[in-house]
Amino acid sequence: MDRPIKTIQDKNSYLDLRKQERVTLLEILDRALEKGVVISGDIVISVADVDLVYLGLKVLLSSVETMEHLRGAPMAGAQEGPT
Amino acid sequence: MNTKEAKEGLIYLYCITDKVPKLKEIESLVDKPYFIYHQSLYAIVNKVKESEFAEENLKRNLADLEWIKKKANIHEKVIETVMKNSCAIPFKFGTIFNTEENLKIILKKHIGEFKDTLKYLEGKEEWGVKIYCDLEKLKKVMIQEDGEISKLDKEINSSSTGKAYLLKKKKEELLNIAVNKKLNEYGQISFDRLRESSQEAGINKLLPKEVTERNDEMILNSTFLINKDKIENFLNIVEDLRTKYTDRGLFFDCTGPWPPYNFCNPEKEKIHNG
Repeated sequence: MDRPIKTIQDKNSYLDLRKQERVTLLEILDRALEKGVVISGDIVISVADVDLVYLGLKVLLSSVETMEHLRGAPMAGAQEGPT
Repeated sequence: MNTKEAKEGLIYLYCITDKVPKLKEIESLVDKPYFIYHQSLYAIVNKVKESEFAEENLKRNLADLEWIKKKANIHEKVIETVMKNSCAIPFKFGTIFNTEENLKIILKKHIGEFKDTLKYLEGKEEWGVKIYCDLEKLKKVMIQEDGEISKLDKEINSSSTGKAYLLKKKKEELLNIAVNKKLNEYGQISFDRLRESSQEAGINKLLPKEVTERNDEMILNSTFLINKDKIENFLNIVEDLRTKYTDRGLFFDCTGPWPPYNFCNPEKEKIHNG
């Protein structure tokens, strides 16, 4: 797989100076695709569709669950994000 | 559906903001951005092609990593650009309306929630901390530190082949338990400390190596909404944790500020406010 790592080079972005790490596709997918306001648009990307994207990343979906097990019990006091 | 509008394309919604957006700055990112105004809120949109974003085509395109890379990046950049000048509510990638009318209906319906959310987000930033662990490194530490495992390790060296095999299995078992326990402990301690300086915090699902493209395992995927005057404090805590856990194989990937993707859903806000 190619490495989709990008740095923000847009000089106009106020975020540049404070981005601590490289902005990866991972970071954007983890946010823009998984989160953000979900309202009933005429077309929205469903959870199943997001899974499709991860399939595009050649991921076996079950491995996500496996990782959840590795972490074990959820962190106390944390709110699981909306899915 | 209005056929004329449909021919012109679908409406892609990026974000909502409460200050007049500077469209010139967004023009270099997407084709003809504009806004739809309703009761002091501006929905930033543009027309996108049905060949790309109509339901079936969108589903097909979601399987195309190159396409997603390009489009998700544009989505992010548009919102970041709006956020240079004002607070914004970021929408999920690929929020599409068939007509402007349909979008206006949603705007009207949720206007109160959007205003409340913008008010809440004012002066705050979203940051993310992903913690990874080099499990082999942590295992080595545990062999040294855990009395029982360390004892087994020594016994293995002085045992016959058969016995050594059984002891090794036992050691692996204990090691896995000990490592999982430590990972939970480190994750919890880190999360609690980072939460101290944040307004709100959340935990997202862990992502496997195929997605992270790293050799170590993700053990915590956390997000924080932080008051701007607490950012420095937050980053200092990240540094502290890095120092504290570096010899345990932990790596802290801290990124931000991000559009508040994780803290903009109305129901979540309600939980927070009590």
